Amino acid sequence: MKPICLPATLDSLDEIGKYVVAATTEAGLDTKAAYGMRLAVDEIATNIITHGYEEAGRSGEINLSGVLSDSSLTMVLEDTGIPFDPRSQAAPDEDDLCLPLEERSIGGLGIFLVLKGVDDFSYEYAEGRNRNILVAKRQSVANS
Amino acid sequence: MAFDAQLAMTDSIAKITLTGSLDASSAPRFKEVIEQAAVQSPSRLVLLMKDLEFLASAGLRVLIFAKQKMGAKVDIYVVGSQGPVLGTLEMSGFHHSVYIQDTYADA
Repeated sequence: MKPICLPATLDSLDEIGKYVVAATTEAGLDTKAAYGMRLAVDEIATNIITHGYEEAGRSGEINLSGVLSDSSLTMVLEDTGIPFDPRSQAAPDEDDLCLPLEERSIGGLGIFLVLKGVDDFSYEYAEGRNRNILVAKRQSVANS
Repeated sequence: MAFDAQLAMTDSIAKITLTGSLDASSAPRFKEVIEQAAVQSPSRLVLLMKDLEFLASAGLRVLIFAKQKMGAKVDIYVVGSQGPVLGTLEMSGFHHSVYIQDTYADA
């Protein structure tokens, strides 16, 4: 798919969502896997916009691309915000998930949903760019 | 679909109808409606979510905010949620703290 480049603002989340939906449709992912990828990309993009740019007083762009192979759909988000590894946030554990809402911490839910939503997630920082890489196996491969 | 949140107070029950996509760009609107409801000290919060098609962690955080703002004694009902949105609520453990129902008697 042709990559897109969008301003790193929350208003771009809608366009990012449309791009992911188009990619997951082309990949033939089932409803659960397609939604998981859309959710994961939304969470990562939100992290980039809020932590990588806005809280750092920066402005910039997010590049999003989708690569389809016989076995998987890979979505890659690239940005020039401050180095930020989403995996540095502690995801809630089983005990946290059972806490009453009034006792829950609001942190870590995003990365939790990322890790639950896709088959593989990785992050790297190179040459001034953050790269978040999300992979969903295509149905025929996932079932084999 | 664009996000919308509509509040209706009936007696002391706050009902909020949520539609569209609830993520970080729309969560401030949801939070604003929760605050409007909270000042009326409802005894119960009913969230009508049949037409909510997307729910990200920013929306979940507003639910936590709602419980913390209104108090532990105010029960939260999630009504009509289905598919992946319901899956997100359950995966995140929210079904331990809110009542999840297909329908609500006065909905």
